[in-house]
Amino acid sequence: MTPVASDAKTRTKTPRRNDPPPLPNYIGNRKPWLNNTRRRSLTGWGFLLPAALLILFMSFIPMAQAFVLSLQTGRGTRLDFADPLWYNYQRLLSDEIFKLTLTNTFIYLIIQVPLMLTLALVLANLLNNPKLKFKALWRTAIFLPCAVSLVSYSLVFRTLFAGDGFVNDMLTGIGAIDSPINWLGQADTARFVIILGLLWRWTGYNMVFYLAALQNIDHSSIEAARMDGANAFQTFWYVTVPQLKPMIVLTAILSINGTLQLFDESWALTRGGPAYQTMSMAHYLYEVSFQKNPNFGYAAAISYVILMLVAILSFIQMKVGDKRD
Amino acid sequence: MKSSAKLAAALTLTLPLALTLSACGSGGEAGGEGDGDNKLTVWTWDPAFNIYAMEEAEKVYQQDNPDFELEIVEVPWDDLQTKLTTIAQSQAFSELPDIFLMQNNAFQKNGLNYPDLFSDFSDSDIDFSEFPESVVEYSTIDDINYGVPFDAGTAVTALRTDVLEQAGYTVDDFTDITWEQYLTIGKDVLAKTGQPLLSGQAGSADIPMMMLQSAGASLFDDEGNPTIVDNEALEAAIDVYTQLVDAGVLIEVNSWDEYIGTIVNSNVGGTINGIWIVGSIQTAEDQAGKWGITNLPKLDTISGATNYSANGGSSWAISSNADVDLASDFLAATFAGSTELYDTILPKAGAVANWIPAGDSDVYNEPIDFFGGQPIFADVVAFGPEVPSNNTGAYYYEARDAVSTAMTQIMGGTDTATALGEAQANVEFAME
Repeated sequence: MTPVASDAKTRTKTPRRNDPPPLPNYIGNRKPWLNNTRRRSLTGWGFLLPAALLILFMSFIPMAQAFVLSLQTGRGTRLDFADPLWYNYQRLLSDEIFKLTLTNTFIYLIIQVPLMLTLALVLANLLNNPKLKFKALWRTAIFLPCAVSLVSYSLVFRTLFAGDGFVNDMLTGIGAIDSPINWLGQADTARFVIILGLLWRWTGYNMVFYLAALQNIDHSSIEAARMDGANAFQTFWYVTVPQLKPMIVLTAILSINGTLQLFDESWALTRGGPAYQTMSMAHYLYEVSFQKNPNFGYAAAISYVILMLVAILSFIQMKVGDKRD
Repeated sequence: MKSSAKLAAALTLTLPLALTLSACGSGGEAGGEGDGDNKLTVWTWDPAFNIYAMEEAEKVYQQDNPDFELEIVEVPWDDLQTKLTTIAQSQAFSELPDIFLMQNNAFQKNGLNYPDLFSDFSDSDIDFSEFPESVVEYSTIDDINYGVPFDAGTAVTALRTDVLEQAGYTVDDFTDITWEQYLTIGKDVLAKTGQPLLSGQAGSADIPMMMLQSAGASLFDDEGNPTIVDNEALEAAIDVYTQLVDAGVLIEVNSWDEYIGTIVNSNVGGTINGIWIVGSIQTAEDQAGKWGITNLPKLDTISGATNYSANGGSSWAISSNADVDLASDFLAATFAGSTELYDTILPKAGAVANWIPAGDSDVYNEPIDFFGGQPIFADVVAFGPEVPSNNTGAYYYEARDAVSTAMTQIMGGTDTATALGEAQANVEFAME
């Protein structure tokens, strides 16, 4: 029968002889909207949706609320929008204590993060040596500090570095110093104790990241370097490290993020140290919110400053480090 | 997938979720709302002291009201302050208990910022004139009472009588003296026995604050303006403190544990603190019988100086979510009305009452062996009414921290006027 124009609407499409039979979910002869590709992506979204909603309600919406809060001033629950809206941020600039905590946090950042990452890198490289004995023991021993409770290690460190603590006893015993050092009573030594604590705790954590990345390095590149006459350090610097670059960028971003938000050591080890000299920004934030006269708008502004710093530094990190060749 | 495997998978997914949700549903420790059940909830800290006192109060009240029940929840002070701030800020007042304990120093701050946390019970049976005025002042805002004073922070000088004997002194030589005299005797004791007389936490302004209060001065004036600069009493107090440290009569340590350690390990010959320090002193059983108590030296260069002061102390507050009638009746019958209660808690916990009639009882006049037979509690209750009031205001902790910072700087060599000026500026900044 010859197709006629008036048949176009009523005519059904007859399947051609060699086509596969239509799938059972065909509605009449129309292709269903829910084909396989769509179903897979919908399933994917279905699995992601609970977590995404949780993050939205638990993280992003409170973040937006915190920003609104940082634009408000007032004590207790009597909060109104500030007169210039950015009043809290302006106030931050003239807050001596905040500037001190900012300096402290940056000191920790600049000294501790490079030291820790270098140490972790070196240790990972050493522990990757196939001929090393008791590898599992070393790896566990270096990683274990990370699993220790934050408060208990802070208390132990505080006891260790007390006036009559173990460290002073040991140093006087071997004759390195004449009289006990007041570790936690002076600004410099107190900061040193915090940096030491951070190094002790987080080196293992980063080392595990590097160890994992080292497994992905092709051993033949190292052998090639050795055959070309490179010594251990040159191999490490010119062959291993460039291949670890993505992992180094990742751990750097994580470490900067963590150090800028430092709270636990400042709180438990030194309680802000002698006269705010070791207090970190997050600790100051907690003080302003709960210990002093509650000023939540101001505290929210401090938290946003921390956020901006983390964002800026991470952005710079990614720009510098993440050159995809 | 087989249907049994599917079932197992479904259960594994839903079971944790169901359990978590059910856990969310239960778990309410909030107080009741006057719905007639004879039950009160209390939030407080320190099992050996406050909680013990509350348990005894429950027993006293149950003599007249047998079906009365008291639920005591232990919450350390730092956590309690955070909880109260969070509850008040999020307006979730139904989470509050009926009664909670509050540090006297923090009362004004909480009362001025979050008045919705408290209930006004000045028209209850509690007779506030039976408490020393200086202590009631802490929990009074705009002439309305919000708290029943409990733990006295009355300050005492506690001394090791054996160390003093070695140097040829007795506790009487330390009674009603001035700081000049204390310094002289302290240097002598140090020279003869090698023991300093005092220890204190570096960067914590406890001792200068006690000196300040003993002279009737405060960090704030009556309007709430900071008076850190041009404060003669404060400057005198810091001056005395510096002299004590320089002479070695006062040693500074870095943490609370170290401070207690100096007392318990016999590294110092005494201490000056609130009477509650007696509990910690008594943990050193090998020092039994070797201690004595007396009042504080006075800042004789300041007019209005006394030999009495206070440090800390706390008051019971009734929350806005409480069964106010029952709670105020309970407090009136126990902490503001029962000598029997105070007699019971005194020997075991060393809880010295602020309630003046309690001091008349015989238990207070009993000699305490640990202190060489001295009836220390009777002495302390006698000190209580002599303590001058001080203004705390809402910014007390800011001012106190600022002064602590200033003192650390002064100990490090900064000029006093500069350091105090900076402290004042910091407090004024915080008050904006």
